[in-house]
Amino acid sequence: MLGIWLGKLALWLLRLLGRGATSFPGRLALRVSPGLLGRLGGQLRRCVVVTGTNGKTTTASLLAAALNAEGPWLHNTEGANMAQGLTTALLAHTSWTGRLRVRQAVLEVDEATLPGVIDKLPVRVLVLTNVFRDQLDRYGELDTTMQKILDAVRRSKATLVVNGDDPLARHIALEGGRPVSYYGLNPAQAAQPHRDQTRDGAFCLRCGARLAYDGFFYGGLGLYDCPSCDFCRPHPDFLGSYEDGLLRVVHGNRPPQVFRLPVRGLYNAYNALAAIAAARVVGLDSDTIRAGLARFRPPLGRMQPYATSPETVLNLVKNPTGCDSVLQAITSEHGAKVVCIAINDLAADGRDVSWLWDADFETLVEAGDVRLCVTSGLRAEDMAVRMKYAGMAPDAIVCIPDLEGALRFSLAAARDAGDLPVYALTTYTALYPAAAILRRLEAEARPAGATGGRAVQERGTA
Amino acid sequence: MARPLRILHLYPDLLNLYADRGNILVLRRRCEWRGIPVEVQPVPRGERPDLAHAHLVLLGGGSDREQMLVAETLRGMREDLRAAVEAGLPLLAVCGGYQLLGHFYELADGRRVEGLGLLDLETTAGRTRLIGNIAIESPAFGTIVGFENHAGRTRHRHEPLGRVLAGHGNNGEDGWEGVRYRNVIGTYIHGPLLPKNPALADHLIRTALEYAGEPADLAPLPDDLEQAAQQAVLERRLPAARTR
Repeated sequence: MLGIWLGKLALWLLRLLGRGATSFPGRLALRVSPGLLGRLGGQLRRCVVVTGTNGKTTTASLLAAALNAEGPWLHNTEGANMAQGLTTALLAHTSWTGRLRVRQAVLEVDEATLPGVIDKLPVRVLVLTNVFRDQLDRYGELDTTMQKILDAVRRSKATLVVNGDDPLARHIALEGGRPVSYYGLNPAQAAQPHRDQTRDGAFCLRCGARLAYDGFFYGGLGLYDCPSCDFCRPHPDFLGSYEDGLLRVVHGNRPPQVFRLPVRGLYNAYNALAAIAAARVVGLDSDTIRAGLARFRPPLGRMQPYATSPETVLNLVKNPTGCDSVLQAITSEHGAKVVCIAINDLAADGRDVSWLWDADFETLVEAGDVRLCVTSGLRAEDMAVRMKYAGMAPDAIVCIPDLEGALRFSLAAARDAGDLPVYALTTYTALYPAAAILRRLEAEARPAGATGGRAVQERGTA
Repeated sequence: MARPLRILHLYPDLLNLYADRGNILVLRRRCEWRGIPVEVQPVPRGERPDLAHAHLVLLGGGSDREQMLVAETLRGMREDLRAAVEAGLPLLAVCGGYQLLGHFYELADGRRVEGLGLLDLETTAGRTRLIGNIAIESPAFGTIVGFENHAGRTRHRHEPLGRVLAGHGNNGEDGWEGVRYRNVIGTYIHGPLLPKNPALADHLIRTALEYAGEPADLAPLPDDLEQAAQQAVLERRLPAARTR
């Protein structure tokens, strides 16, 4: 009980200070009462866990939004996905007498943490988004992350919801011995392999042969098939087709269901598909899921769509790694597009902009469908030079330091080129100004007499 | 030219602190745009570079620990390096690589790490880091802008790369930045160094071509974006540099 009190006290104090409570209260509580996660977790009626290398946070947030349309589910905050963070999430719904008030939980769990917590939670559904490995291993020996997930799966009593387009996730599902529902994208949406993908192509974990791919969605996700054994991509139980912000999901031989996604990008379509599949496995109907997704508020600057004319998708870039994953999300959107990149060098952005040369802007050029790159911000000129050396044709680079001018120019050019989408990337101090400008441009794009609309009001609180 | 200009990038797996990849990319592109065949060879940790076939060498900066590993490898071939430098091998050394060229450099705890002794130069540890945008005026290359971030205070008895217009430079005291010795250029300026300073990039390519025994007349390139980037740093970040 002391652990609960200390943890709750810490939670309360942090809230009083206006701080987000993430790991600290849980860490404090676990130090005093090491068995606390099991004691609180044991009170849960059911629990859904989301794990995997990429997309955990977005998938779990989307799933929480869907599930909350049916009843209260508790959910851990972004990134607090280890034992301490999970404990914090449970503590927030625990009474001072140690009683858990919300008996359902959807939790994002770090892959390495999973084996340590799987016995402490009544995990009914386990979502595996994907498994990306740092090193390729052609002899079928699993690295520690794979082994940890597999151990946890084997000890669980969960139904698995697995990305069937990922050969490593597929392998875990085959070896895990639990019932599985696969989700995957429509093969018609796969792209032909390019540079990185042919280099990073995965090996069959059963026989060690290099997997053959008929097409890729992104990274190692795609239409794989082993040329020398019977390992292959499963036909997805939940088959998704993504176009223009709409995800069409076919579940078995039921009629297709269309969902309007609150997040953009093929990258996020996977996350939404995972969330929808998991919600269906939990037992929700499509209308409830739709209602839940409609209430989802996309985090500022994460493939966040604005209803400008044409549409703008706003992204925050902070460092080379984060920037590369944003670039990957953008280039996984096939089709012609305009990109607007605003780089500031104030203290919160980092005054040294060397990192621009460590980020892989070459992918924008290799993708071949970026028609125009507008650079902006206090380092607009540095960014223009970066794009030039990335291999962009000089006449496709326009440098407009003023942010509003740059966004307006990007939209006008995108409109003239046939209503192409605009992808805006900004560093931290340019993000809020860009969001404010885009809200104004949204208002300008609305036909006269139209009302404000829900989406705009919601974003106003961001 | 028949054989490609060969650039050695020393230890990118260890010395990658300040996006030296950008310097390599600029050299590569400015050769390609002129139709000069170019080959960049990254030299991985622990391996000794093949100087006999190199026309230009780039040595970047890393953390103290990584720099010590590099110093160990390179000290083993000090005489080869010295001979190549004396014969005119172009070498660009940035930040930690610059410090490595001297007799020694001093770590924050006072320990001295033996350098390569290629230049009459030494680096002592300062109590504060010298961080920020920097502009210098170089007699040979005009204005050079970039960013510096170093605790070391470097002094040498060679020609400096330029006079500090704004920022700290070699040691924050004597008003000089960088070093030039034969075809060696050492500097604390990164950002990376070459994208906003194309005159310097072309100088390196020219000396590398000469060293390779190839014709070294470089066709001019349109550098509007590069010049605009340099001007923007001067105007927005270093207004003091313009009044000097």
